[in-house]
Amino acid sequence: MNTEKQGTMNSLKNICIALSMAPMALMAQERFATRNGHITFFSHTSMEDIEAHNRKVTTVWDATTGAVEFAVLIKAFEFEKALMQEHFNENYMDSNTFPKATFKGKISGVSAADLKKAGTYPVDVTGELTIHGVAKPVTTKGTITVDASGAVKASSEFDVKPEDHGIEIPGVVRKNIAERMKVTVALDYAKM
Amino acid sequence: MNKKIILLVVLLAVVGGGIYAWAQYDRKVASTADLDARESVTAEELLSAFTADEQQATERFVGTTEQVIEVSGTVRSMEPVSADVTNVTLETGNELAGVVCEFANTDLHPDWRSGATVKVKGICTGVLLDVVLVRCTAAE
Repeated sequence: MNTEKQGTMNSLKNICIALSMAPMALMAQERFATRNGHITFFSHTSMEDIEAHNRKVTTVWDATTGAVEFAVLIKAFEFEKALMQEHFNENYMDSNTFPKATFKGKISGVSAADLKKAGTYPVDVTGELTIHGVAKPVTTKGTITVDASGAVKASSEFDVKPEDHGIEIPGVVRKNIAERMKVTVALDYAKM
Repeated sequence: MNKKIILLVVLLAVVGGGIYAWAQYDRKVASTADLDARESVTAEELLSAFTADEQQATERFVGTTEQVIEVSGTVRSMEPVSADVTNVTLETGNELAGVVCEFANTDLHPDWRSGATVKVKGICTGVLLDVVLVRCTAAE
């Protein structure tokens, strides 16, 4: 197992364990998490559209500091067509060697105090996205929404270029796969 | 005469190849219900295996190609995550981690509730905080 990925999992686990044992003073911090986050990626070309969904995204966000972490199992991406799913795992993502993608960064533009009142808050997201074992900096926009019941949702859209993460697309299928994949993130956060 | 036969054979090969290629391209992801389970374990055993040695457990339960495993346990919670998908989380004896099984609502057993003893077939995709199974069906 890749040490970096093991470290990410341990990091997420440590956050949860630390929270379960945190002294009362720390409980004032506003931390949110979900294990059911939804990430979609979409590739559009004139040849075909390719879409996959992963509804098992695990993420922890500390709204007090802005720190946020994501972890995703590559094999949990689901496609409509079996061949696309097989090629995704075996030919492009090499998911046996790189079973997880991770993001570690910061959400800015919303405070813990904002989350106590309903509203829609545009945010900036910056951090490092690791896919296929290759880490790249990411800067994008997102939206945090707090509804009347206090439920916190987060969403974002950004593009990922496979070649930036060392994913080679063979020439024979290059026209079938977009140069930039649109990645859509939708999260229903729960307070920890 | 020979030319006609050769032409016919070539034509049949092209048409047959085209049909095969299209069938492969258009092949849907197999239903887990139609596949045999390679392993049968309890939810506690599955989580313990990943906690003890993630790499070894990944090789055993995730495999290099997609494989079905059967997991038995007690339902901790059932949580709709979209209009057509529900997560069933199985007890593991560890409050911080479970075995999460993703069901299409059409594959969800109508009698399952929290506390029910169940058996699930699904594709194990690895572990984050929980062990994650997708495309799950009720094994019985």
